[in-house]
Amino acid sequence: MALFRLNPLAPQEPALSIANTDDVLQLGDRLKGVRLIALRFPKFTDGRAYSQARLLRERLGYGGELRATGAVFLDQLPFLLRCGFDSFESDQKGFGPALAKARTLFSVVYQPTGDGRATAGQLRLGRRNSVAA
Amino acid sequence: MPDTHFYRYDDYDRALVAERVEQFRDQVQRRLAGELTEEQFKPLRLTNGLYLQLHAYMLRIAIPYGTLSTRQLRHLAAIARKYDRGYGHFTTRQNLQLNWIKLEQAPDAIAMLAEVDMHAIQTSGNVIRNVTADHFAGAAADEIEDPRVWCEIIRQWSTLHPEFSFLPRKFKIAITGSPNDRAAVRVHDIGLRLWANEAGEVGFEVIVGGGLGRTPMIGKTLREFLPKDELLAYLEATLRVYNRYGRRDNIYKARIKILVHEIGVEKMRAEVEAEYAATKDGALKLAPETIEAIARQFAPPPLRPKRTKVPEVEALKLENRAFALWLKSNVAPHRVPGHAIVTASLKPAGAPPGDASAAQMEGVADIADAFSQGEVRVSHEQNLVFPHVAVESLPEVYRALERLGFAEANIGKITDIIACPGLDYCALANARSIPVAQRISNHFAELSRQHDIGDLKIKISGCINACGHHHVGHIGILGVDKNGVELYQLSLGGDVDFGRTALGTILGPAVEADKVVEAVDALVATYLEARQAGERFVDTYRRIGAAPFKERVYGAV
Amino acid sequence: MAKNLSGELHVASANRLGDGLVVFLDDAGQWTTRLDRAALARDERAAEILLQRAQAEAFGVVDPFLVAVTESEDGTLEPLSLREKIRASGLTFAAIAGEAVRYA
Ligand code: SF4
Repeated sequence: MALFRLNPLAPQEPALSIANTDDVLQLGDRLKGVRLIALRFPKFTDGRAYSQARLLRERLGYGGELRATGAVFLDQLPFLLRCGFDSFESDQKGFGPALAKARTLFSVVYQPTGDGRATAGQLRLGRRNSVAA
Repeated sequence: MPDTHFYRYDDYDRALVAERVEQFRDQVQRRLAGELTEEQFKPLRLTNGLYLQLHAYMLRIAIPYGTLSTRQLRHLAAIARKYDRGYGHFTTRQNLQLNWIKLEQAPDAIAMLAEVDMHAIQTSGNVIRNVTADHFAGAAADEIEDPRVWCEIIRQWSTLHPEFSFLPRKFKIAITGSPNDRAAVRVHDIGLRLWANEAGEVGFEVIVGGGLGRTPMIGKTLREFLPKDELLAYLEATLRVYNRYGRRDNIYKARIKILVHEIGVEKMRAEVEAEYAATKDGALKLAPETIEAIARQFAPPPLRPKRTKVPEVEALKLENRAFALWLKSNVAPHRVPGHAIVTASLKPAGAPPGDASAAQMEGVADIADAFSQGEVRVSHEQNLVFPHVAVESLPEVYRALERLGFAEANIGKITDIIACPGLDYCALANARSIPVAQRISNHFAELSRQHDIGDLKIKISGCINACGHHHVGHIGILGVDKNGVELYQLSLGGDVDFGRTALGTILGPAVEADKVVEAVDALVATYLEARQAGERFVDTYRRIGAAPFKERVYGAV
Repeated sequence: MAKNLSGELHVASANRLGDGLVVFLDDAGQWTTRLDRAALARDERAAEILLQRAQAEAFGVVDPFLVAVTESEDGTLEPLSLREKIRASGLTFAAIAGEAVRYA
């Protein structure tokens, strides 16, 4: 498996590996001080880890590395990035170049997530307000 | 060209759809080059509406809230000509299916679709599907609020949702803004019903866990009253609970209805409310300006009240019986006096239900430009609707529809059959649907007889997936396969009218294909003999029960 | 997948990747849209080999599989199951033509 890390210098210890059936909201103290969490995609069509990722980032404020492991393919990248993943294990040919492009594949997003991108709705509101002002 | 009276894309929407086309083009290229296996590619093509059926690829195009401008409809006709065999099939989910698309050309076809602000995003796959609405929305006399505003808000929120693109199973949402539900909201994964509470505030009743398919269930109320600006936060909470806990071990148990059934609606409610409490008042809360800006685009066309009694209409009614019947069955009240909602029947005698040729689509567009503010609707009963027609124009509209073959006065009648594509197209089918529909349609073609029989909904599915909604047909017909022979199981008593949503009950052993017409004939005869004044078929069935019908059918076939 | 595999005669079929059309494997290892050109396996062993050959030639097609057929006196092949009959010979009703306006 090749490993792709958006923050190659971030510490990878202590690490935690979580099954996609685990309830991340029950992790409590086990999250303390953790620098790397690996979430798992047993099949790429099993999307439970996306919810886990958003809960970790947005509900629990987890700031360390979040790694996607298992069946990870380049076509998932726009979704993975938006849910807060910043490292990826994949063997797929072309994964690296796809990662470099994934953030700009879609210039517009509709959903607010923890990645902080302004949504189309927010941009429209901004436009209207600046016209009104 | 008339202005549109529904949502217009802005540059954000357009950019996203264009980028999705390019992403799909790349995915197709990688598949054709052998870089993706079929197993990897299939979910990718499905989330862009591309199926592989028996004889070819099928492209399912989303028609959000069933509303089309004539420019869009003409463009669909052109796409059908250029990339398909010149016809299309309107589905029960307000989509258009093209049945003979080539994979190599699919990216160009959807690029052409994007030229008129349309797409095939999430028309298949385990994602939130095209949100459906009452096809009379924005025109119906009984409407509280136009549900399409909310369909559009949900369309944007659900499009390429990063968290919900790999759900346990598909997810269908429907919205109605009228007490007379025309969107079947109780048989969807989530149904939303707009209603006004005692304080006069309009909000949503949120219904969850309905659905047809293998395990038909009627949805349960999750929330009596949800303030409108909380809609997305509440949906996100519900979808998150489903994504985390919905079953993934068995495809037949993966819909949200099974989750609700297994844990119970109280537990489901507790889970959703807990999740909702943690996210509400967050970024998903809708700003009043956001709702306003979208609602403004759905502002109804400025129709002036007109004469409701028009001499030409009254005269033609006397002279032409088919026209008089058509007024009764195909024309519905409009909220502005002197106007009407006209349904064009895509079920002329013996035709494949819901199919239209490119030339017919263009003919419909011409009529809509001349008489219906340039707008056409697709109904979930596979017909096309002109939402804004002046009463005085009805004779002209009728004649124009006659020329297209779409003037059959049969809306809601026995030949207004819903049928899925069945074994003629569908890789999952057990039996054919369309030829059965054609036979019934030919048998009951005579209009005055149809009107005498009255409202009777026949719905046909070619397999247990129930795309033809057979569970909620007054007469449901389900194709089954027994040792390689097509048989058809009949059920009675289904319904989708609001407050009366009911699932049909199987009548008895399945019958052979060439006996279906006789069986339906026997059911109708039983009803005609037993009915009391004002009773529809399904009312009589409810009153007298299955026994007399059963006796007659199995005595006859 | 044909449900009746008890028949002895089989051809290998698939849908062509590029356009989705129904194809059959011929004796030369090419995929053809013509059932009458399909390579015929006359017993179980031959059917296994045919399927293996089809899978080896699967680059331009989707998911090859065996179709049970019957052979008439004059050598005409016909699939056993209704599903495969429809796959081989198309819709069982007349689809409307693109320029059709029904009553015009
Ligand atoms: S009900 Fe069955 S046969 Fe009909 S379209 Fe759906 S999956 Fe195909």
